[in-house]
Amino acid sequence: MEKSAAPVTVLISALGGEGGGVLAGWIADAGVAEGLHVQRTSIPGVAQRTGATTYYLEILPRPEAKAGSDLAKPVLALNPAPGCVDVLIGTELLETSRMVQAGFSTPDRTLLIGVVRRVFTVAEKAAMGDGRLDPDRLEAIARTFSRSALIGDLDDVAKRAGSHLNAVLLGALAGSGALPIAADRYRDAIRAGGKAVDSNLRGFDAGFAYAENGEDANPTQERVTVPGAGAPIAESWSLYPPEAMPMIQAGSERLAGYQGEQYVALYADRLKRFAGKPGVDAPFMTELARLLAVRMAFEDTIRVAQLKLAAARLEQVRAESKAREADLIDVIEYMKPGPEEILSLLPPGLSRRSMAFLKRRGWDTWSIPMNVKATRFGGFIRLKVLSSLKGWRPRTERYADEQAWIERWLDLVGKTLDHDPPTAREVVSLAGLVKGYSDTYKRGRRNFDLIVSRIIEPGLSGDLPKEAFADAVLNARLAALKDPEGTALDEMIESLWVAIGAKRQAAE
Amino acid sequence: MEVSFRREIESLRLGAGETFHGEGIMAVTKALLQSGVGYVGGYQGAPVSHLMDVLLQAEDLLDELGIHLETCTNEAAAAAMLAASINYPLRGAVTWKSIVGTNVAADALSNLSSAGVQGGALIIVGEDYGEGASVIQERTQAYAVKSSMWLLDPRPELPTIVKMVENGFELSEASSTPVILELRIRACHVFGSFEATDNKGSQHSAANRFAEPARFDYARLSHPPVTFVQEQDKVHRRLPAARAFITEHQLNEHMGPQDGDIGIIVQGGMFNVLNGRLAEAGLSDAYGNLGLPTHVLNVTYPLVPDEITEFCAGKRAVLIVEEGAPDFIEKDIGQILRQADLNTKIHGKDVLPVAGEYSPVAVAKGLSAFLSRYGRNESARLDDWVDAVEAQAQAVAREMTAPLPPRPPTFCTGCPERPVFSAMKMLREETGPVHVAADIGCHAFATFPPFSQGNSILGYGMSLASNAAVSGTQARRPLAVMGDGGFWHNGLLTGVAGAVFNQDDSVLVIFKNGYTSATGVQDVPSSRPHEEGRGRGLDIESALKSLGVGWVRNVRSYSVSTMRKTLKEALGTDEKGPKVIIADGECQLARQRRVRPANARAVVEGKRIVRTRFWVDPDVCTGDHSCIRLSGCPSLTVKPSLDPLKPEPVAHVNNDCVGCGLCGEVSHAAQLCPSFVRIEVIQNPNAWDRFRARLSSALIRLFGGYGAMPVTEAYPAPHAVPAE
Repeated sequence: MEKSAAPVTVLISALGGEGGGVLAGWIADAGVAEGLHVQRTSIPGVAQRTGATTYYLEILPRPEAKAGSDLAKPVLALNPAPGCVDVLIGTELLETSRMVQAGFSTPDRTLLIGVVRRVFTVAEKAAMGDGRLDPDRLEAIARTFSRSALIGDLDDVAKRAGSHLNAVLLGALAGSGALPIAADRYRDAIRAGGKAVDSNLRGFDAGFAYAENGEDANPTQERVTVPGAGAPIAESWSLYPPEAMPMIQAGSERLAGYQGEQYVALYADRLKRFAGKPGVDAPFMTELARLLAVRMAFEDTIRVAQLKLAAARLEQVRAESKAREADLIDVIEYMKPGPEEILSLLPPGLSRRSMAFLKRRGWDTWSIPMNVKATRFGGFIRLKVLSSLKGWRPRTERYADEQAWIERWLDLVGKTLDHDPPTAREVVSLAGLVKGYSDTYKRGRRNFDLIVSRIIEPGLSGDLPKEAFADAVLNARLAALKDPEGTALDEMIESLWVAIGAKRQAAE
Repeated sequence: MEVSFRREIESLRLGAGETFHGEGIMAVTKALLQSGVGYVGGYQGAPVSHLMDVLLQAEDLLDELGIHLETCTNEAAAAAMLAASINYPLRGAVTWKSIVGTNVAADALSNLSSAGVQGGALIIVGEDYGEGASVIQERTQAYAVKSSMWLLDPRPELPTIVKMVENGFELSEASSTPVILELRIRACHVFGSFEATDNKGSQHSAANRFAEPARFDYARLSHPPVTFVQEQDKVHRRLPAARAFITEHQLNEHMGPQDGDIGIIVQGGMFNVLNGRLAEAGLSDAYGNLGLPTHVLNVTYPLVPDEITEFCAGKRAVLIVEEGAPDFIEKDIGQILRQADLNTKIHGKDVLPVAGEYSPVAVAKGLSAFLSRYGRNESARLDDWVDAVEAQAQAVAREMTAPLPPRPPTFCTGCPERPVFSAMKMLREETGPVHVAADIGCHAFATFPPFSQGNSILGYGMSLASNAAVSGTQARRPLAVMGDGGFWHNGLLTGVAGAVFNQDDSVLVIFKNGYTSATGVQDVPSSRPHEEGRGRGLDIESALKSLGVGWVRNVRSYSVSTMRKTLKEALGTDEKGPKVIIADGECQLARQRRVRPANARAVVEGKRIVRTRFWVDPDVCTGDHSCIRLSGCPSLTVKPSLDPLKPEPVAHVNNDCVGCGLCGEVSHAAQLCPSFVRIEVIQNPNAWDRFRARLSSALIRLFGGYGAMPVTEAYPAPHAVPAE
């Protein structure tokens, strides 16, 4: 049996609606024009509806026609075989990693053209905290398990070229020289497609240049910056860990805008209680400063109105909406304050009495859906009136309630700090459970109370062994973030006490 | 229709001497035209949706050739249409997705195959099996065997596929038997080329009609007593005729060397996977120059015993590569060899997976076991390869620490079905769960997160029927969901008529999105008539009322609050019999395809167009993501927080947002949070718009304008640290 050339294989991993099929088509057309045998196939199905899908091509040179010989027809595979892929193109990091795990990129053979881009899965997005996978890890996998990797922010390249990603990827493939196809054949394929030809050609050229010049030297990335890092540190702050100062600064700025200088002084007072205590290091202080500022800047109706009137916000909206210069923009706010939100603006006594009245009448679930046009005077003035209640805020029921909550939390932090410093760290983090509005907020408060009564108080009284204390608080917080129904938290607490009971029995 | 085939349709006109380039399913279409088909029809479903789409878009060409085209309401109707070939010398072809479509068609198919055909009858099924499949995993082969229909499973390359279509009609006529042509997913979508021949018109057709109906011939009816005669005819005349035709026209292929002590028998459709692994073992190459004798079954039912015995004679063993369970072919071959008293050992499901797709790795493992048992050292190369593949999978898993999260398909951005499930989820939180019967269609995506609901799926349009006994035995009234596609396919009679007849206490939600969207946005009877479509605008509500449904509500599907209220009412009302809610909202895919270019044109022409989209205020968002848990919209995602105080990712609406309004509805209905904002971009504003905007901004300035956030200059007033 005479050994003949093996085909060059290309696998494209894409999400439905990204134009992976068009990309495969361009490559195939270019290959056919080049005089190659090309076969392509795919498994779109319902995966077209935003699921993950793949396209597979095999490309084989036509054998030189010998006089009188039949031009043999190749038997090209319809399935990619692991370890046998020459080029893997991935439009999204997780899907690219999935392909790598299945063996469709290997260190001995595969050129991996990948995009540093995440389209989060529902599981990642819907998590109650941060459910995202670590993108660096995904990228490292792609680099480790490929012969060479051309991985970068090609999505950004596409945006800058005003083109679609698939055209940029085609350009990168052409620029890599992995296939025996001349660049102009690809360009012809784009032209023959007849759709968005100019922008696709721009994208192609950008991708081509990217492959030739290598990866971006300065990838543009949004970074979280902590402001005020360079501000001078007054002497009296010198006993605070210096690493915690930027967060204290950020917290102070937030509260100055939120309520005023006096409120910032209250913030500083509260922090002071913990400075220099045993067990209070920089990470402890940073987390405390962060969560204390967040809890003190609680989101009442006044705060929401305040945020919605920020001038910077309108600029953000305009940029986001991709509006042209001459276009007018209206911003319609979706607000639906319930009686609790509104009545909690009254002084405590009056607020409680009115709430009780509404409850008796069964009116407490009523709420007012408001679509407020912040860009029109009618909407603006309503928000303005609300935000001007800032000075009144310290007299509201909500303020009193929040301050009492904060004091209770700080008190627990202080007590656990004396009892068992590692646990105190977890009690600080527990404040992160309380966030959001209406039901989300109530759920956070409920979970917090539950953890306090079932774990922290027994821990402080010695009912819960000290060695299990910190872990129990940590696990309870993680369980509270698992599901909105609170099932995981209930189960966690249940099994904690069952385990402790069993241990005690064994000990007796 | 989702895909336009304007360009491809031109290639359907190619004639002799020209080369056709295109997708597998397009090649089948061209082959039908080359075979002189008289009528075509079918029901859409991946992976053969494109066949129906192309035929519909090629109506001009079909008219020229006099081909009658029927958009069937379900597969049973399509199968029944083949009755035209029982009495008349008329070639017909129908198509659908299998196994599910064949199940629906089964009654008509049994009757058709009993009576037998005069004109060639070809059933093109997309075998939705293995990776990418969306239905239960069963084999069409079972239907071929039990109804005595012949099953073609061609090698997945265009020339062979085309040859099998053409020979399929001849085989059908030579043996008076309907023939099924089975194409797997990748074969349907494979792009390749073949040498075309001229299209042929049918002798009798829509253009040249039969002047008289067939004379009365009781033998053509599948009705006793002739059914007993037909049963005998199947085995005594039709089967031998088919085998003779298969041998004479060499439908099955011998590849590789003539002789050898071991060999392989493979389904045609599996040949390319096998060849790839043989090449890996050094027993073949990219041109299929096989080192082992191989018998390729382009016809997997019936087998031709003489071909099998001839191939096996003198061999120690053969490997049978037959994908899926049960092992029909392997059993057949075993019986053939036993009866011929041949001692050739057969291997198949003992070394290859008993069930599941024959991926390259699965085939490699089986092939290696087979080769090593017969002392062939090529197995070592396959073992090395398999080991490397598995080692890498484990290495990546170790690097990843947690399993990679799955990414199932979901509702498109702006889908009108999503809000209904948001409403159902909110109601579930309010009143507790109820039993939900799911159905086939896009709405089945609600079985995935974040909705995760549905207690059963029993088939297309079967949801209401599947609740019949549930509703009679549950304390709380159950729900059934169904698309308008499922409603017209089956749900109207099987579900609604049955529930009215029995006064079942059930609630049905019908998604009226106007198309069978999951299969590629094809028209259904209730689709609005428009330029390209075949919709007739049949009214679902009057259909329901005329069947005697007393409680029918029409709710705009995006109105989450109204939908929640209506669902609650339906689940609580004292009304007897089925309660039906029609969730009205056009498929956003279809809508955007129409609206987007129209709006772009209007903007260029200077017309006033208001574009809406949603936005999440990152300062107001607290990173709890409950909005995502009630939506799952692809354009509602998360992004890194830029606020050092709130490091958790914030919700974010990306630029794919079509402004369907769900985000706002949900944040109102669930009282979520005030971070959602609707942006209205008035493009080409008119004088009144500009005046109002100017007036507003003047007044806003007058009252202090938008505020900048005050920024403190340094750290707050210092406090001495108590020296404790």
